[in-house]
Amino acid sequence: MNTLFIDTHGEMVVLALYKSERLIKKKEGTERQDHSTICMPLLVELLTEEKITIHDINDIVVVNGPGSFTGVRIGVTIAKTLAYTLKIPIRTITSLELYLENIKEENYLVLNEKNGYYVGKIEKRQISEYEYIKAKDFDNWKQEKNIAICTEINYENLITFAHQKDPLNPHIVNPFYVKKIEVENDKKS
Amino acid sequence: MNKDIRILAIETSCDETSMAIVKNGKVVESLTIATQIKTHANFGGVVPEIASRMHTESITLVLEETLKKFSGKIEDIDAIAVTYAPGLLGSLLVGIECAKTLSLVYNKPLIAVNHTMGHIYANNIEHDIVYPTLSLVVSGGHTDLLILKSEQDMEILGSTIDDSIGEVFDKVARVLGMPYPGGPNIEREALKGKDTYQLPIPMKEENFNFSFSGLKSYVINLVHNEKQRNNEIRISDLANSFQTTAVDEVIRKVELALKKTGIKNMILAGGVSANKYLREEMQKLCEKYGVTFHVPNILYCTDNAAMIGCAAYPLYRAKKFADFTLNAKSSENIKKYIEENK
Repeated sequence: MNTLFIDTHGEMVVLALYKSERLIKKKEGTERQDHSTICMPLLVELLTEEKITIHDINDIVVVNGPGSFTGVRIGVTIAKTLAYTLKIPIRTITSLELYLENIKEENYLVLNEKNGYYVGKIEKRQISEYEYIKAKDFDNWKQEKNIAICTEINYENLITFAHQKDPLNPHIVNPFYVKKIEVENDKKS
Repeated sequence: MNKDIRILAIETSCDETSMAIVKNGKVVESLTIATQIKTHANFGGVVPEIASRMHTESITLVLEETLKKFSGKIEDIDAIAVTYAPGLLGSLLVGIECAKTLSLVYNKPLIAVNHTMGHIYANNIEHDIVYPTLSLVVSGGHTDLLILKSEQDMEILGSTIDDSIGEVFDKVARVLGMPYPGGPNIEREALKGKDTYQLPIPMKEENFNFSFSGLKSYVINLVHNEKQRNNEIRISDLANSFQTTAVDEVIRKVELALKKTGIKNMILAGGVSANKYLREEMQKLCEKYGVTFHVPNILYCTDNAAMIGCAAYPLYRAKKFADFTLNAKSSENIKKYIEENK
């Protein structure tokens, strides 16, 4: 049972291969270049090194955001096209869920981004709500909250975690942006 | 007999998610176009981030639809083609990553196609392009006059030195209070009006370049000034005068090129070639010079993947394949593209 993990939400492209939920190989883009020039060549490298083809992949787990809009779209487009054409299950996990295992007593996970923070409210060891907080509002927001800053990802148990979720129809797998774009804000006001 | 070549083509450069299967660069065996026009009309123009989002949402649905309409099997496809430039970066990337994935899964070569070349090769769908031919490309991003000497050899005679004609149609439409997309609305209004406004001729020089920003600014200033003076703007007349001036300028340059080159074939390409007044004037001009004139069916004038499948065919035959490092380019000098693909 080969699981392909795709994460393009951050500065680095991360691809990993799991066999029966056990991490076999993780590959990272070495340079902070365009994800589009890195992601597919990295996938081919991963497959070649493990001496398998794309047809040996049995299911996919993709990080659908929040994070870089374009970055997430690259990973999600590749993942949903793979799942659709190979007819294999696909599941999504959010970028904040990558860090969930490190949580102890805290009730908010915080992921730093260029101009602000993606935050997730934690209830019963799950993220119940997502929000985007602008940098200027952050100090005010974090008062009297027990927050955990996202830093290290533990890749070992990621797929076991992801597999608890239901697989999705590839057509409805889409980026989870959280942050609104300017025109949406303009339209509201 | 040569084997038939089938190319699955993807186009996501602006606000249409489109896929097609084209046989031998000519026969459209399947075509799907998911347009976002209604969404962008709410904002008065294409919002790049929304366009990219909608492409991601519909990409596998468009693939499914395209394969459903195709009578063959995916194994019958010989290559995957995709628009890589010019266009909106985020939008282009969705098509490019999908194309790379299909290329990997089905083990078919990847072909990178320039969108403008697609508009030109759309002419192959209903008529065979006869070389040499003059080609006028008019769209939201382009106003180019080219000589196609053969399938692999082209030369640019002239291009716009500022705005493209399509851009100017959209901006003028906006100033006149018409919804997006502006081109068809200008055309509709123009039919109700007369050419009564005296507008400046864009470029008096006798070369093959175009310039439309002066005409655009003149119309915008005219509208603002009339509004300030509380004078009525005769929208239909102004639309008519603007369309007449812009199109006549294009016709003047094409006439100059026909006279100078003596070429007897002419093709029109690009989204603005859907404009009826332009089509009619081109027809008249070509009749005058005994030139054979072709323009694609309106369906193939606006953005679609069938034209990308057509333009990919000569690249397939020349074995000009792309690798997985292929990236999107928002603009690409067509001259460079022509040089590289010679």
